[in-house]
Amino acid sequence: MNSTVQKNELIFGYSSGNLGEAKSLFVSMYLHLNSLAAKRASIFENILANNLQSLKEVAPRNLKYTDCIKTSSDSEYKINTSNNPLSNFLGDLNNINWKFVYKGFKEFNLPFDDNDTVKLIKIDPGTSVPLHSHNGKEYILVLEGSFCDEYGEYNKGDMQINDQKIKHKPTASNKDGCICLSITENDIVFIGKFGSVLNLLTFIKSFFK
Amino acid sequence: MENTKIVNLIKKIAEERDERAFSEIFDFIAPKINAYYIKNNLSSEQAEELTQEVLSTIWIKAKLFNPEKSKFITWSFTIARNKRIDFYRKSKKSNANEDDIRDFLYENNKVNDYEIETIINKISEELDQNQQKLIKMSFFEQKSHKKIADELEIPLGTVKSRIRATLNKMQKFL
Repeated sequence: MNSTVQKNELIFGYSSGNLGEAKSLFVSMYLHLNSLAAKRASIFENILANNLQSLKEVAPRNLKYTDCIKTSSDSEYKINTSNNPLSNFLGDLNNINWKFVYKGFKEFNLPFDDNDTVKLIKIDPGTSVPLHSHNGKEYILVLEGSFCDEYGEYNKGDMQINDQKIKHKPTASNKDGCICLSITENDIVFIGKFGSVLNLLTFIKSFFK
Repeated sequence: MENTKIVNLIKKIAEERDERAFSEIFDFIAPKINAYYIKNNLSSEQAEELTQEVLSTIWIKAKLFNPEKSKFITWSFTIARNKRIDFYRKSKKSNANEDDIRDFLYENNKVNDYEIETIINKISEELDQNQQKLIKMSFFEQKSHKKIADELEIPLGTVKSRIRATLNKMQKFL
């Protein structure tokens, strides 16, 4: 399937509010970093909001305007001071307790009670991830730096969607390396020389999740 | 209600904490928000509870609303949507507050609702009534594909393929 369609479906899901918590956070970072994605979300939100105009109104029976002033106890709104949706959730991104996976590759699992696994990935400059494929879908968003693979180059704010059909060997840029946010719907499958060892490790790791 | 009137009322709420202006906004938007929640399958008690939260938020955050950038109806819709998301997450141990994240994106978003209006009009001209209905049922009322199939008396596969075709059609304009 065309990956633009998949990205739009994700954005539409976000606009309508039907994504799980993990994907929701993922898309909010995407909208924050990618102005085209933000524009698409706004278009969809406006289309959905127009439905409010044509909807048959149902006046609340037990609610008066004074109830809405009373409950808010006039507390003034405080401007949100975080730098982005992720730091709103995780705190300072410079203080992340990265977990070593192999040389040049670290990750940090985000504690979501969700069907999807969310993690931050940090790849040192020039480091490659062994050739792999995916059981389910994987969404990767570049937060810092860039990486490239058989399909192209991905910079800050770019998203890549991978599935069973895609086998790739991403390499982080020589200059800055990269930090990515990733969501996997299922574990990835490694292929190649160390494939079976890595698959076994992933399998063993799944017991400790 | 006319846009200029709405903008004036919101300004009065934000700057003067004008309760009369708020009562007019309440009469305009509360029945729409309440209907949205009922369409989303919430009980009338839950719908009113969430409507109250949305209107309280409008009262508190009136200052945040930027009439040059956004339409009031879209701004209200996103508040209502976020309250619905947070409502469903309450049952779980939740990490992120959708409202906070949305506020952050709103403050930093450079997209202007009025600038994208032509695109939105083109999309609604392009989609026929059935396609608009599908978008409404699936993304506004959050009905499952199964439920849509039952209501429209068409096969489940047809619902899926029609939604995909509709999104594809919209794609041209995005």
